[in-house]
Amino acid sequence: MPEHLFWWLATALCVVWYSTITIYVAVRGAMDIKSMLLRLSNNGKEEE
Amino acid sequence: MTNFSWIDGSIVGLYIVATMVAGIAVRKYVGKVEHFLIAGREMNLYLGIASLAATEFGIVTCMYTSQNGYRNGFAGATPGILAMLAMFFVGYTGFCVKPLRDAGVMTIPELFEVRYGPRIRWAAGVVIVLGGLLNMGVFLRTGGDFLVAVCGFDPKYLEITMTALLVFVAIYTVLGGMLSVLVTDFLQFVVMSAGLLAVTILILVNIGWDQLVAVVQEKYGEGGFNPFAKPDMGWKYIVDNALLSLAMVLTWQTTIQRLLAAKDTKTGRQVYTRTSVFFLCRWLVPVLWGIAALKVITPQEVGDNTLLAMPMMLSRITPMGLMGILIAAMLAADMSTDASYMLTWSSVIYNDILAPVHKRQWSEKRGLVVSRSIVAVIGIFLLVYGLWYPLQGSLWDYLRLTGNIYLSSMSVLLVACCYWKRANSWGAAGAIICGAVIPVMFLVMEQLPSTRHFAKEVLGPEYSNIATYIIAATAMVLGSLLKPQTRPLAVKG
Repeated sequence: MPEHLFWWLATALCVVWYSTITIYVAVRGAMDIKSMLLRLSNNGKEEE
Repeated sequence: MTNFSWIDGSIVGLYIVATMVAGIAVRKYVGKVEHFLIAGREMNLYLGIASLAATEFGIVTCMYTSQNGYRNGFAGATPGILAMLAMFFVGYTGFCVKPLRDAGVMTIPELFEVRYGPRIRWAAGVVIVLGGLLNMGVFLRTGGDFLVAVCGFDPKYLEITMTALLVFVAIYTVLGGMLSVLVTDFLQFVVMSAGLLAVTILILVNIGWDQLVAVVQEKYGEGGFNPFAKPDMGWKYIVDNALLSLAMVLTWQTTIQRLLAAKDTKTGRQVYTRTSVFFLCRWLVPVLWGIAALKVITPQEVGDNTLLAMPMMLSRITPMGLMGILIAAMLAADMSTDASYMLTWSSVIYNDILAPVHKRQWSEKRGLVVSRSIVAVIGIFLLVYGLWYPLQGSLWDYLRLTGNIYLSSMSVLLVACCYWKRANSWGAAGAIICGAVIPVMFLVMEQLPSTRHFAKEVLGPEYSNIATYIIAATAMVLGSLLKPQTRPLAVKG
């Protein structure tokens, strides 16, 4: 059992959560950018 | 001696070019002021998470949090726990943020006009900009100090480095506004996260958990793990930071701008709940770096400036190659923060402070020119202020204090606006004045030799901050009761 379990668990949570979310957001965020720019482009055409 | 080499320089150069190209490329989508300030409300969930995380972590964040780790051990990460809880609570319950986003406004002061009238909207805009710019004023200097310490640059190049960095950021922010900020934030989130994780793992592997715990135990005893057991922390520190965390989540303009740029209220709230753990990471990761500095760097090497302990440690333990990734990561963190902050304060200046001037009658083209000019002027202010302001005491104390110039009053105004029908302009005016005067007085007292001791040692920033919230709330209640609202206007929610 590591010393100061609370901080050990908090550190483990940070490293695991942050690694996971970085990969996930890297993929889904790129898709979000694509769809955002597509919507803005379509809105611009409609207004013209 | 540092491990920064030409390989690391190439990695950094490549990153800067990629960011500039991406940031400038999206300028063609900016056709309206709404696109420039809030990306046409087209931001989706994961882009929102990346943007919020990248914005809320800059070199300055890394510096003050690691300083907290160096000075307080693991207990220094306590504000991160409080921030995580506040983010999750507000996102999950929709406390204040739901009515705010439902109202369809571009800034918080715009919402205040509905309940408190146009003068309060204007006054709120002024204190938000005042507090925000003072807060942001130290970002460049701190970022420059970090780069000089880690890369081993000659300090005489600090100003040039800071200016170049700001010019890069200003170019794409001026051209693309929020759209450029979102796209570059995404790139910066990925690069920043890779660097932060790599260095943290390096520290955990090379120094080891047991050594980190041992050095905190040796230097601070139980107080290094438990804020209640640390004499200079305790209840006052917890209460101060809890109030600050909640107020920041509710009204910090860069955070709120992500909520307002979200495509709907549900997405905005999800950005909050799903980014909440990041608010623990943004504290705990640099706190670990600060503790590592406590282990690697001797007090004699650090001297009085504990802010530089962490960069000194990084320059010593980070190998070639990883050093380039680290610098790119920290530049990414800093650029995303600077860009978002410049845009945020410019949005308040344009939307609220200049509202009596443009009265929503300017053409989109004129509005865009003015918005872009404001971003450029803020950049110049940052450069000038960052060069001459002498920072006294802890960086985190300064940021809390300047943030409180508006956080205290704006959070009181927002809560009352959303949930108290009797709140009115008298109460709002009282809260704004009291909320701004106390932190500004404390800052002035801290700078004057005759009052410095009283401000720092007797009063302290914690009691000053707590008093600001209590007095701002009291002013809101008393002012509102003295002048009952005759024509209450409901806020959608």
